[in-house]
Amino acid sequence: MAKGLVLVVDDEAPIRDILSFYLKRAGYQVLTSATGVEALEEMGRSRPDLIISDLRMPEMSGDEFCRQVKGDTATQDIYFIILSAMEGTASRISGLALGADDLIPKPFHAQEVLAKVTSAFRLIAMQNEIKRQNRELTSFQQRVQAEMGLAAAFQKGLLPKLPGIANGLRYTHRYLPAAGIGGDIYAVVPLPEGSTALMIADVSGHGVPAALISAMVKTSFENQVRLGGGPLAWAQGMNEDLCRATLAEQFATAWLGRLDPGTNRLHHVAAGHCAPLRLAGGTQGGLRRSEVLRGRGSMLGIDPQFTYTLQEAEFLPGDRLVLYTDGLVEVEREDRTMLEEAGLRRICAELPAETEAAAEAVLTQTLAFNHPAPFEDDVTLVVLDRLA
Amino acid sequence: MLNIQSRQEGTSSVVSIHGKVNFEVTAQLREVIRETVATAQPRLLVINLEGVSFIDSSGLGLLVAARNSVDKSGGRLHLCCLPAPVKKTFDQTNLSNYFSIFSTEQDALRGA
Repeated sequence: MAKGLVLVVDDEAPIRDILSFYLKRAGYQVLTSATGVEALEEMGRSRPDLIISDLRMPEMSGDEFCRQVKGDTATQDIYFIILSAMEGTASRISGLALGADDLIPKPFHAQEVLAKVTSAFRLIAMQNEIKRQNRELTSFQQRVQAEMGLAAAFQKGLLPKLPGIANGLRYTHRYLPAAGIGGDIYAVVPLPEGSTALMIADVSGHGVPAALISAMVKTSFENQVRLGGGPLAWAQGMNEDLCRATLAEQFATAWLGRLDPGTNRLHHVAAGHCAPLRLAGGTQGGLRRSEVLRGRGSMLGIDPQFTYTLQEAEFLPGDRLVLYTDGLVEVEREDRTMLEEAGLRRICAELPAETEAAAEAVLTQTLAFNHPAPFEDDVTLVVLDRLA
Repeated sequence: MLNIQSRQEGTSSVVSIHGKVNFEVTAQLREVIRETVATAQPRLLVINLEGVSFIDSSGLGLLVAARNSVDKSGGRLHLCCLPAPVKKTFDQTNLSNYFSIFSTEQDALRGA
């Protein structure tokens, strides 16, 4: 098998013949042309891997030929060696400045040319390998990006549809995954008897693994809710589900609640998650003092023996609930401080009456506080209003 | 920036952590703990959190995984010197009872 295709361009037939003889003997396939114009025609028919060209030729000089080869994206990667009778460093530099890859002074030793051609083909092989790997990487990256796009769309589909209306509640969300796809999830499930099951969760880590688990968290929550019971039973069931399914260091913080409009009570369980804020009369707008719905419980998915504690709060018509994941309040600013729960409470002390406007105000003011630091973690914010 | 130091105290290893423990640094911390457990095979691993200004849920998850892996190899994991904000995070996630927590490094080493 030929080692590669070499095009020899020289107006002197003896030089073409000598080079051709040695190159063929060394196992290369050789084409010859007497002028640059002829060579370009030849290249229209077959693409050489390497060109050895004289500099001084009639019709088209070697300079011009080199410029045309190197100026065309289709041929610029062809390894170009100039044969030059011109003496001196200046002419050698000018040859390379044209874009030639190497230069051999005339008169030359055929062995020297062969050695240069051999080393050039080593380089060509390396370049081809790099190009092949690049192509593979690029196509792999494109495939991954396309899949990530699909996965992100799928994940968005797991979120409640907006505008959210259920059982006398109006809610909206802001969902900002850090890596296009993330480990945050929330759910609002209306129950037949008029109460509503609520869940927000934040899976450890980022990206695809977290997203896969977040889908599982949602399924597990819906299954638990279907089994009946309340937030305490749901938390225990979800903890067992996650312990079975996740690896070490994969777990979720979660907050679960059940809102019963008949009794105006919100029963809730914290599983290592940041405590939601209740704004009594929050749907009227104006100044409100937030109540932190604090709970105490460990993350889901660590130890099936963990137990949880049921908490209870009042939740009246006109009240507002703000659920969030820690990415919202744990951005470190340049002065090394973070918004934290206290800062979020300050922001929530005065929000617009309308649900959508309230969510926007929280996000805008949080971003303004962090500025210029961006969110680093997945961020989810849910504003849920009980209609008066 | 996270600064982690590891040293031997008899048959025990002490890992001291300084800085903010969040998702960005868990890989670094995981490696130090893994290395310490693998090479020293300590009967007691003490993690000193005195210099930790903040720990998020991925940091907590790492500590839980560390405890589980030390448990499996028949050793024990003690935490010590939790600053107030870190203690609060442990309390809120109910992990204060999951770990053996000591107020000083000496106590943690003695296991008292």
